[in-house]
Amino acid sequence: MTRNVAIIGAAGLPVRKWQTAPGDEIQVLEHEVLAKVVIEAMADAGADKNDVASLVFAQPRPYTTQKYFATFMANYLRLPCTGSVVEILGNGMTAALAFEAAANDIRLGRAKVALALGVNFETATPAVDHMMNSMRATGDVDFHSPFGFTPISWYAMDAARYIHEFGSSRAELASVAVKNRRHAALNPIAQLRKPITLDDVLAQKPIVEPLGLFEVPPRGDGAACIVLADEEVARARGKPYVRVRGRGFFHEGAHQINEVPNDMIALVAAAKAAQAAYAEASVSAQDIDLAELYAPCTIIEVLASEALGLVPRGEGARRCSEGETSLGGRIPICTSGGLQSRGHPAHVTPFYSFLEINQQLTGRAGERQVANARLAATSAELGNYNAAMVHVLEGVG
Amino acid sequence: MLPRLDIDRTRAYPPRVTAFTQTFWSGLQNGEFATTRCDACDKLAFPPKPICPHCWSTRLTWTPLSGLGRLYSQTVVHAGPTVFASEIPYRVGIVDLDEGVRLATRIIADTEPALDAAVEIVTLAYRDGPLFAARVITP
Repeated sequence: MTRNVAIIGAAGLPVRKWQTAPGDEIQVLEHEVLAKVVIEAMADAGADKNDVASLVFAQPRPYTTQKYFATFMANYLRLPCTGSVVEILGNGMTAALAFEAAANDIRLGRAKVALALGVNFETATPAVDHMMNSMRATGDVDFHSPFGFTPISWYAMDAARYIHEFGSSRAELASVAVKNRRHAALNPIAQLRKPITLDDVLAQKPIVEPLGLFEVPPRGDGAACIVLADEEVARARGKPYVRVRGRGFFHEGAHQINEVPNDMIALVAAAKAAQAAYAEASVSAQDIDLAELYAPCTIIEVLASEALGLVPRGEGARRCSEGETSLGGRIPICTSGGLQSRGHPAHVTPFYSFLEINQQLTGRAGERQVANARLAATSAELGNYNAAMVHVLEGVG
Repeated sequence: MLPRLDIDRTRAYPPRVTAFTQTFWSGLQNGEFATTRCDACDKLAFPPKPICPHCWSTRLTWTPLSGLGRLYSQTVVHAGPTVFASEIPYRVGIVDLDEGVRLATRIIADTEPALDAAVEIVTLAYRDGPLFAARVITP
């Protein structure tokens, strides 16, 4: 018998710079921060510690001094497990893969309750040094890195191609950042909450042309915990929960670029993952009430919203500028503020998407609440959306 | 022969060379741009590989490339890793070669190039070894 998986609780640290420098006398350390988030998430879930049988971690950044972090935390939380205690790594998709591994332990009957959790601390390492790592993750070390490609340089090339093919304007693309900041202003855990105008976005210094500072993610630290459970456990609590209705994954077998020329900005992995998730959930894109997309840059939100079928191809930027993807619009996207404003502690970023959807689908999103939200989609990705994971989630009760 | 530009400094982040890829890099130093073609399925790979990524055959032949193609996309990097600090800002892009191969490299252009512009691969001869780049062909 296939068991249904539910999200029954979630918590996330406000995204900002938390990490202390190595020489600081008083340190802010990952395990203490994450432990408190776990307690908060379990209180939100109303679940029994004794039912937790799996701990699936997003692997911390290399700057986290404590190694074998998962097994260290099993001790710190004093949590014997019969399912799994494991760390997972998959670039930007890391937390979505951790979520899936936790869900699989429930599907396999190995856990009634499983935690998908992690902490991403990185801001004590300057951006120029951090990029020495990240350029090796988002490129071929011998055939891309020698030229100086940075992680977001690939997204910038998506933007250039999109403008070239669809005649979209810079202002239309930049409207995504304005919209996301407006959403973040309503989100207490967002990193950047001060409202900005279109002129502000367009006036920023270029980072990777044509994208400026406000169209790329700030660096941030974060920690989050998602409590997953067998749906029977979720139902027995007598409180609203979120059911995992569908899941799709696709890796196009390419790393940053496809060596056989293709339509790079179609985000084929996102499109195929979405089709699979919608099929498993027996829904179509038109049924989705809101979406929390993994989109580090403005252009990527546009391309992912098109690939998931939420807006028509080539019209994503314009539709955003017209308010269609804003709170109160036809299909609100990234009500958390998205990666540009909610923040992007990369290894745990998809956890923050599940956290937002959990709040929305259980009617607890406060000023950000999407009225009558029942079905939501999330996406996560790695590379230049060379791989994508899409979930369809449903509010119950 | 590829056009050659001499650059009087060392590479910021040199590629590693294997017994297999040294054919590519030493050829590039001599103005040749080549990759592997599969003897079994006839498809090209880029970067060159000791296996065919398409059919997994291990029978391959080094094949010269024209070095001619089109600029698929490009950007200018204003915030880059430590090793490239002295080169910022620099222009990079994606090129589709006429043979049906996509690659990523530095772009040489005086002004912002139009996408789909014709480009040619050039050898960048640094003091410590070669890299390649794509130069926009001005009509």
